[in-house]
Amino acid sequence: MQCDDICDMLAAYQDDELSRDQRQAVTLHLESCRACSEVLTDNRRISGLVRRDADMSAPPTLRGRIGKSLDRADLEAASGKSADSWKVGRGTRFSARGETLGLARWIAALAAVCLVSILATWQVMGTAIHTDGIARDVLNAHLRSLLQDSPVQVATSDQHTVRPWFAGRSDFAPLVKDLSADGFALVGGRLDYVADRRVSALVYKRRLHLVNVFMWAAAAANDSAPVASTRNGYSLLTWNQNGATYWAVSDLNLEELRTLQRLL
Amino acid sequence: MKYPASPERARFEQLAIVHMDAAYRLAFAILRARPDAEDAVQDAYLRAYRALHQLEGTDIKPWLLTIVRNVCYRRLQQRRGAGNVISLDEVMESRSAVATDPGLTSHLPSPEQAAVSTSEQALLAEAIGALTPVFREVIVLRELEELSYREIADIIGAPVGTVMSRLARARADLRTRMLRLMDRDDCHAVR
Repeated sequence: MQCDDICDMLAAYQDDELSRDQRQAVTLHLESCRACSEVLTDNRRISGLVRRDADMSAPPTLRGRIGKSLDRADLEAASGKSADSWKVGRGTRFSARGETLGLARWIAALAAVCLVSILATWQVMGTAIHTDGIARDVLNAHLRSLLQDSPVQVATSDQHTVRPWFAGRSDFAPLVKDLSADGFALVGGRLDYVADRRVSALVYKRRLHLVNVFMWAAAAANDSAPVASTRNGYSLLTWNQNGATYWAVSDLNLEELRTLQRLL
Repeated sequence: MKYPASPERARFEQLAIVHMDAAYRLAFAILRARPDAEDAVQDAYLRAYRALHQLEGTDIKPWLLTIVRNVCYRRLQQRRGAGNVISLDEVMESRSAVATDPGLTSHLPSPEQAAVSTSEQALLAEAIGALTPVFREVIVLRELEELSYREIADIIGAPVGTVMSRLARARADLRTRMLRLMDRDDCHAVR
């Protein structure tokens, strides 16, 4: 084997990357050729120097720089923003379009979430404010009735007198029951103004406590379970029944109001 | 706004950060300028992170070094395109000019082994600097990263035979330059 042939294999020989046969051939040649042996010795020494000399590490700041650039990539990915211009190529443009699409979708989703949130808040708050407004009206009407000489315009315990009295005075003919047997004596009836409308009010008396029961045609026909609340120490109960909205208010406790509600 | 590290981010850091030194050495081997090498590694890591889903298996090192290499060569091209590239031959000549300047080489080499060694290191750095990037990269991948010819072939995208001949050529070049430099410096020959 000639030195020229060996030359290309010498590096692979040094790195132990030769096949068994090639390795043997080179070993054989090196035994007889001093020039090639010297080259190999020199190369091994230079390799050792390279390893020792160039064993540098990355500057300590590099890791931080990489971390920051990955942070930015995460942020951009999270906001769906096209990161940086990835040069040319059909695939690249396609993916850029994809990212734009992603951005549009993201904005649409955000807008939808905002809208739903606004509507839900409006709905809940609106209902709450509305209900709260009625409760205030109801309580005020009740308190006002107590300030009068008489809380009723038609004073009678006869339900058959009260009901015709409302006819022609209110758009709603209330169901009037005398509940004296159950401890709720009918005092009479009156017209009042609650929640921007004229409403019918029935007044019951339990022991020394007066109860105002307001009623008007309900917006929704379906019945609803009674909802209790207290306001300034007064008990309030509201429910829907047979197409009418009822509000009962009194200084009685809520349990007694519930009893009345069940009787009506 | 700070997002908690995603599982992907955690996986990438766990796999890739340990190879930062290797990435930096390869980048420096190709670019021969520390700030450029840092920029290239940062750029390569960002690209690798974005393309992490393309990684097959868990051996990230060859894949990562391939990306580092691509980024570096793109930078070399940009340098040439920008016209501010300094040809390696020019660098070599200017360095030789500096080295042969009597004002700078007038001090006698110290007889101590350490000093001789330092001198040798300086010559080696010069000889390595004079190689072209394609030879420097195989030297670095082989000598410093101790990768097999197969692994190097995958990274540089060439057959194993090419790796073999490039390494042979690179080592022969290095030896010739070292001998020439030592002869010029009237120093000990590499023995």
